[in-house]
Amino acid sequence: MPVARCHHCGEPVAGAGRQAGADGHAYCCEGCEAAAAWIEQSDLGSYYRLRSAAANRVQAEALDLESWDRQELLDEHSRAVEGGREIVLLTDGMRCAACAWLIDRALAREDGVLDTTANAVTGRIRIAWDPARARLSALLRRLAMLGYRPYLATGEAREQARLSERRRWLLRLGVAGLGSLQAMMLAEALYLDVNSTMPAPTRDLFRWLTFLVSTPVVFYSGWPFLAGMARELRARHLGMDTLIAGSTLLAYFASLVETIRGGTHVWYDAAVMFVFLLLAARMLEQRARNVATAQVDALARARPVFAVRERADGSRESVPPSALEGGDVVRIAAGETVPADGVLLDGEAMFEEALLTGESRPVHRRPGETVYAGTTCRERPARLRVTATGSATRLSQLAALVDQAQNHRPPLARMADRVGRRFVAVLLVLAVAVYAGWRMYAPERAFEVTLALLVVSCPCALSLSVPAVLAAAHGALARLGVLSTRPEALDTLARATDIVFDKTGTLSDGKPARASVAVYAGLDAEAAVAVAAALEKDSRHPIAAAFADVPPRMQAQAVVARPGLGVEGEVECRHWRLGRADWAAARADDGGVWLGDGQRALARFTLSEHPRDDAAATVQALRAAGLRVHLASGDAEAPVARLAQALGIDDARARQSPEDKLARVRALQAEGRIVAMVGDGLNDAPVLAGADVSVAMGEGAPLAQHAADLVTTGPSLLRIADAVRVARLSRRLVRQNLLWSAGYNLLAVPLAAAGLVTPWIAALGMAVSSLVVTLNALRLARDDRKLAA
Amino acid sequence: MNILLMLLPISLVLLGLAIAAFAWAVRKGQFDDLDTPALDILDDAPPGPGARRAPAPREGGDGP
Repeated sequence: MPVARCHHCGEPVAGAGRQAGADGHAYCCEGCEAAAAWIEQSDLGSYYRLRSAAANRVQAEALDLESWDRQELLDEHSRAVEGGREIVLLTDGMRCAACAWLIDRALAREDGVLDTTANAVTGRIRIAWDPARARLSALLRRLAMLGYRPYLATGEAREQARLSERRRWLLRLGVAGLGSLQAMMLAEALYLDVNSTMPAPTRDLFRWLTFLVSTPVVFYSGWPFLAGMARELRARHLGMDTLIAGSTLLAYFASLVETIRGGTHVWYDAAVMFVFLLLAARMLEQRARNVATAQVDALARARPVFAVRERADGSRESVPPSALEGGDVVRIAAGETVPADGVLLDGEAMFEEALLTGESRPVHRRPGETVYAGTTCRERPARLRVTATGSATRLSQLAALVDQAQNHRPPLARMADRVGRRFVAVLLVLAVAVYAGWRMYAPERAFEVTLALLVVSCPCALSLSVPAVLAAAHGALARLGVLSTRPEALDTLARATDIVFDKTGTLSDGKPARASVAVYAGLDAEAAVAVAAALEKDSRHPIAAAFADVPPRMQAQAVVARPGLGVEGEVECRHWRLGRADWAAARADDGGVWLGDGQRALARFTLSEHPRDDAAATVQALRAAGLRVHLASGDAEAPVARLAQALGIDDARARQSPEDKLARVRALQAEGRIVAMVGDGLNDAPVLAGADVSVAMGEGAPLAQHAADLVTTGPSLLRIADAVRVARLSRRLVRQNLLWSAGYNLLAVPLAAAGLVTPWIAALGMAVSSLVVTLNALRLARDDRKLAA
Repeated sequence: MNILLMLLPISLVLLGLAIAAFAWAVRKGQFDDLDTPALDILDDAPPGPGARRAPAPREGGDGP
């Protein structure tokens, strides 16, 4: 029987599933069915045609959104606009542009909404509404009903700053583009005057006009480079920006001097083109990286909107989490996020610590144990006595630790920076020497020759060579589904010699499967599985996944989930318990899942995790690329050994603490290896930060992604192998570009120094060398398509 | 070559206009979302009865 998939969210429909009568589609839950029904009813059915990724599963439990209407929240996170207020919020379910389309349409239908914009790239929704006609919570309920759970964004001020920063960059690029067009057009007239027949006044008019047009391009559009140069000069570290700004200013001021002097040639066009191309390359690269960070960053910092505090007399009040103090008692409803670190009171509870560990399986906490802010309360409500709030919480400390570790990572001197630094220094010395030499030999040609030397040497090609490749590489990576959050990540990934998978969960699919069944007391294995499947059928517990493939044969009645123990219920008039050995079968807990009636054991299930489908292929591809593959897992010996054997990993270590893993990475580094780390949990933050380059899986903990250099957008492991390939290709292209620039300079500089290069040949050489470098970088995009096909 | 004296200022004025138009479009947020408007054209279903049109026209602003 083919597995039916939910029409709305695409998840497999468990068991018999629910078939909607009206449209004949299968749905996994009531939430999805209601969302789909509303979408069809509102004439938004095109959503299903337009989308390129399945929707989020709609959470069945109703969210408490009332607190969004509170004045404190609106004051901090929204601003007054004409006719109402405006808020920017985050959501985690926007997976493609169609989601943004749906949100726009759905909200526009609500009464009192003035304007909305949803952006799938950044995961942000901007809503302007009229508080007199609509409550924010009502609008958010509509979003939640469609499966988009709202989160608070980082605050009004930061959101505005982010937006205006982006607009400023766009404006700079636009001015550079339009200005260069004009400057090129005017320069064309001067270029076409090959025989110098143009009267000097006309020629000067053209030159002054070009000067006028290029000034805003060099100083407004090129400002980021100029500011960068100022920063680098202050830090006494010649870098890429110095090279870029230096060559722009050189071409610009040399042209100005020539214009005033009435010299033979000007290079305004080179200056503006250069600014435009570099700005475009930098924007493309930044955009690719912003996509990676915008969502991850904000979700990682997401906090609950309100906390429910218990007053001394037992009554409740909801307060902003920032108002909590140590010693307060807070209540957390099932499904809500813990607002502060605290000690669990009353009964046992389950908490999902995915944000901290990347492990989506809820963990069990007993009264007196510490529960961390950012974890999610599962199954039933809990009470906490607050011990730490705000920046004192473990979540904040871990985030700070990650930031610190990143700042302390030895800065990789980038190849182009290294080359560029020397190049600029050597060139300046050479220019002075040549000027002095010609001054003695033929004083009237000294300026012209020095200028030709500086122009023909073209630092442009050199400084373009890396950004052009980076822009192409980031584009290629984004198409593969890998986003890089730090500029030097690609370079390091290309040089990596060893790759360490930091936990079994990265290589396995994380879903338990039945490895073996042992039966006792006359029950046959098939019946035991059927009973267990019936009991777990409607359970949301992860263990239920191990029985999801069993066709439903029996019905279970009066099923009750016992948090931390298992489930019990009636199947075919018998009472069953499924769960921990001591509870279900009165035996010592051994980690297996037992079926019994409370006294007697009837069956024991051993659960294990399968390797992901693409794990073996990935390991093989990585090894084929010359990388040594390691596995360092915190799990027990047996499952780690089994996984390593199945995938053919020789170096697998079990029961590794984060310290052990870090020591392992350090040992490899001491051997001179360059280590790439793949992981998804934040409890390994030191390891991720300690490795030379780290990759976080897209479905892991948001904070781990914050710590990583590269983030994959989906669960596919093959992307890691692809990313290594692209990184190496781009490194090769950068090398070729640098080699070409160096070769060109070795040829051109001596000629220019000898006074053999006329200014127009210098300008031509400058343009051609930059063009060659750019075209070479574009090969990356083409090769990538070829390989992808 | 007197025609140049007229054409050159005109080209400069046009350049100024183009930059002003672009700045206006950027400030109005026309470039903030480049993905969603592309889908609008694919949606050929007529707006249902009683469905209110989105107040802000969302035609892609392709600058000058």
